[in-house]
Amino acid sequence: MVTTILQSILSVLTALAIGLLLMGLFRIIMARIHWRYGPPLIQPLIDIARCFTQRGISHGAMFDLGLILSLAGSLAVVLFMPFGNWCPLSNSGGLLVILYLMLLMPFGMALSGGAGGNPNISIGISRKLILSLGYEVPFLLIVLAAMTQYKSISLVEIVQHQQNSHWAILSWPLCLPGIAYFLILPAMLGIRPFDVDSAPQEISSGLMVEYGGKYLALAHIEHAFGLSITIALFVNLFLGGAGNIVIFFLKMLVVFVLGLFVHAVFPRFRVEQAVKYLWKWPTALAFVGLVVIMVMR
Amino acid sequence: MKWLKSPGKMAHKYSLHVVYFCTGCGIIEIPPVITARWDAERFGVVPVATPRQANLFLITGYVSVKTLKAVIRTYEQMPEPKYTVGFGSCPINGGMYWDSYNTIKHLDKYIPVDGWIAGCMPRPEAVFIAVTHLWTLIDKDMANGYIRYRKNYAAYRKNQETLFGELGWPPLYQESATSAPEAPSGHLPRSGDVRIKK
Repeated sequence: MVTTILQSILSVLTALAIGLLLMGLFRIIMARIHWRYGPPLIQPLIDIARCFTQRGISHGAMFDLGLILSLAGSLAVVLFMPFGNWCPLSNSGGLLVILYLMLLMPFGMALSGGAGGNPNISIGISRKLILSLGYEVPFLLIVLAAMTQYKSISLVEIVQHQQNSHWAILSWPLCLPGIAYFLILPAMLGIRPFDVDSAPQEISSGLMVEYGGKYLALAHIEHAFGLSITIALFVNLFLGGAGNIVIFFLKMLVVFVLGLFVHAVFPRFRVEQAVKYLWKWPTALAFVGLVVIMVMR
Repeated sequence: MKWLKSPGKMAHKYSLHVVYFCTGCGIIEIPPVITARWDAERFGVVPVATPRQANLFLITGYVSVKTLKAVIRTYEQMPEPKYTVGFGSCPINGGMYWDSYNTIKHLDKYIPVDGWIAGCMPRPEAVFIAVTHLWTLIDKDMANGYIRYRKNYAAYRKNQETLFGELGWPPLYQESATSAPEAPSGHLPRSGDVRIKK
């Protein structure tokens, strides 16, 4: 019992640390791609410390509660997600719970932002929800394909299967959903070419426009959790997880840096272009993969 | 060591998120500052799109009477602690618009300013010098514009209302606005300033 609680706390802290580290690396690598020197690695931590010392302005109870709901959703997902060989709640839940709980993150932010009453927030929310509608369809197909192939809804068992044979992305029918997941990864992370909901130049960073002080700090922390969850799910489903946390982090880093190159090169999609793309290529790949898996059984 | 003594202050120093208020020609010097040529992100100086997330307010260029209203609103929306820097000679004393009917001459009569960057135009390096000076000021607790604004809010509000007539939004600090303390001599309306009567 005590070990489970300790493991839960440790797992949450690890996910947060990985997320913050990835955010710091994000800024450094982007700077190097621009031929700049870039900020120090702990810059996201400094920003969060700065936000906590500023006086935030709340916009009512829903503004606070939505943020907490979003944060709680991401904390719960972390507990069900295997990080290396750590998974505090590996015996219960599985992929279906993760699927349900992952919806809480954009939903909570939308609820919270909606209380802000700024027109930019309304645009940001509608864009974010349209974008989630875009990537949820291929995402569900991908997860369904993986679950059908390994005949299991437990993420720990899927990782075990892959470690006994080989990575899912290198095996024949599952490589199609694997590629599809990589294609929707920028949309799930909210980076270019899919940063329509937080475009600073168009809608003054959209959803985040009314966040300041400690609310902004919590939103940053939620973003860090979102980063590590989305990439960890990809590593677990298709790159075979890992036996320990170091290898797991290295795999996450490779995926993240690949995504970063996409972010550095491409300009932003318009909303309808993004949905058109998401419903065409990743969905087609995931669907073909699912059909092949069903036929081969 | 400094981090242990006052982590909030140090975090403020190294994470200056800036609202660049592009009032005039000064904004042309800012893209080189934030992009590859001079790279302000080394210092933790990052542009943000909304005043709620910012703690540094950089006013680049002349401030016309119409813009001043937006400047004041943006300043009041920023969460405390917040710092203001005037960029170029126009916000200091009017600069080349010293006899214009439509620009204000002294920005620090309407909002508190923590530092000035003089010049017409200042080079982009001047922004970095200003940032390092601001670090020193924050260390010595001398970048206290937001405290001065709260303390002398009645005087600032009076200056703003002298200029605009009716402001159209309620006072930021109720208690100090009603108590009406002595106006500091530096912030009294001067002759030659524009007045618009409604």
